[in-house]
Amino acid sequence: MSAQFTDAQLAGFMAGTLDDEALIDAIEAAINADPALAARAEALAAGDTLAPLVREAFAPVLDAPVPERLIAATAPHAAEVVDLAAARAAKSAAPLPTPANDTGRGSWRWPQFGAIAASLVLGVMIGGPLLTGGGGSAPAGGSLVLASAEVDAMLGSAPSGQKTDLAALGEGEVVLTFRDAEGRLCRQFTIEGPAGGASDALACASSGAWQIEAYGRRAAPAGEMKLAGGDAAPAVVAAVDGLIASDPLIGTDELAELAKK
Amino acid sequence: MNRPMTPDETTRQALIALIPRLRRFARVLTGSVADADDVVQASLEKAMVNLEQYQPGTRLDAWVFRIARNHWVDDRRRAHNRMGHDDIGELLDLAGDDGVAVVEASAEARMVRAAVDSLPPEQRDVVALVMLEELSYREAADMLGLPIGTVMSRLSRAKAALAKRMTAEGAVQ
Repeated sequence: MSAQFTDAQLAGFMAGTLDDEALIDAIEAAINADPALAARAEALAAGDTLAPLVREAFAPVLDAPVPERLIAATAPHAAEVVDLAAARAAKSAAPLPTPANDTGRGSWRWPQFGAIAASLVLGVMIGGPLLTGGGGSAPAGGSLVLASAEVDAMLGSAPSGQKTDLAALGEGEVVLTFRDAEGRLCRQFTIEGPAGGASDALACASSGAWQIEAYGRRAAPAGEMKLAGGDAAPAVVAAVDGLIASDPLIGTDELAELAKK
Repeated sequence: MNRPMTPDETTRQALIALIPRLRRFARVLTGSVADADDVVQASLEKAMVNLEQYQPGTRLDAWVFRIARNHWVDDRRRAHNRMGHDDIGELLDLAGDDGVAVVEASAEARMVRAAVDSLPPEQRDVVALVMLEELSYREAADMLGLPIGTVMSRLSRAKAALAKRMTAEGAVQ
């Protein structure tokens, strides 16, 4: 089988100097079927003259100072465990930022989340480790149950991409709907406060109620160059990555799944 | 302050040491340092959350690179009209280099990056892994979940496209 290609052809394949697309495809298929041919091709590969140029072109990234936020991203995840009493104290302390007036950056810290919970009329049930400054995802089972009528209505019926008025909270939009490995319907959404600060969250339907799996504030304002999903808070993106077990549900499929929830 | 390092802390330090390479890898995949840093941040957070899935003794770099690439593939699926732009020059400006030689070198480097950035995503994967990370074809094939001949043919086509573009712009004869 290997004998059907000459050394010159294989060397050209490795060097990227073959023009014959059909020959490239044929060599690829033959190598995939024959490990001995792969070894023969590798032995015929000459020094790569392009690689040093490419390495040099991208070297500045290796040499550049590492941004603090990337080092912070490795902070141990569940380091900051807040007990119920501390959470209550934070909740009742005043004044506290709300989504409407808090334009600071970073993910929601617990005291802010307490205030947000109050202002959202979120029913908050606390269990499991809470968040670090880097944002976080709540463990399934012991987390936050959503009880804001506007947000609940949006999650229950609004299709992805539709802006929804959330009264005092601002404007909401579901950006992604999918099912997780347990078959729960999950929705990633954004809330843009009246003052412009945006937050992201992931909620999954559990026993008919929406449970918050992860949440975080936007690191950057939504730009025009990107769609909403791409800028989402990393904690939320990570939670979506960890849970997503279906293709994104869109259009009539999405509405049909919402009806089932 | 003098607590002994836990295994997790050791892994965390190793992850921090990998950040420059992770940024370069993500930069090749995404087309801009800004997008790359978002991918790196999300990957590191995900790695820390899923630390128990990392098997000590296996390659940490391969594990976290795979997380980063999977994240980017999913991200691209969600936001498919992203447009990269080459912002590595901004890193250079920060470094404060100057002089004619540096400017000429960076002009050539910019042209090489433009050539890499113009490759389709499946070719950028193999350029990042084989040319930059210097993985073997076998290792790259394992990371990408592809047969080795397919990795070779993608790199073959990537080299042809890069050489064509660089020759046209006078970087290589």
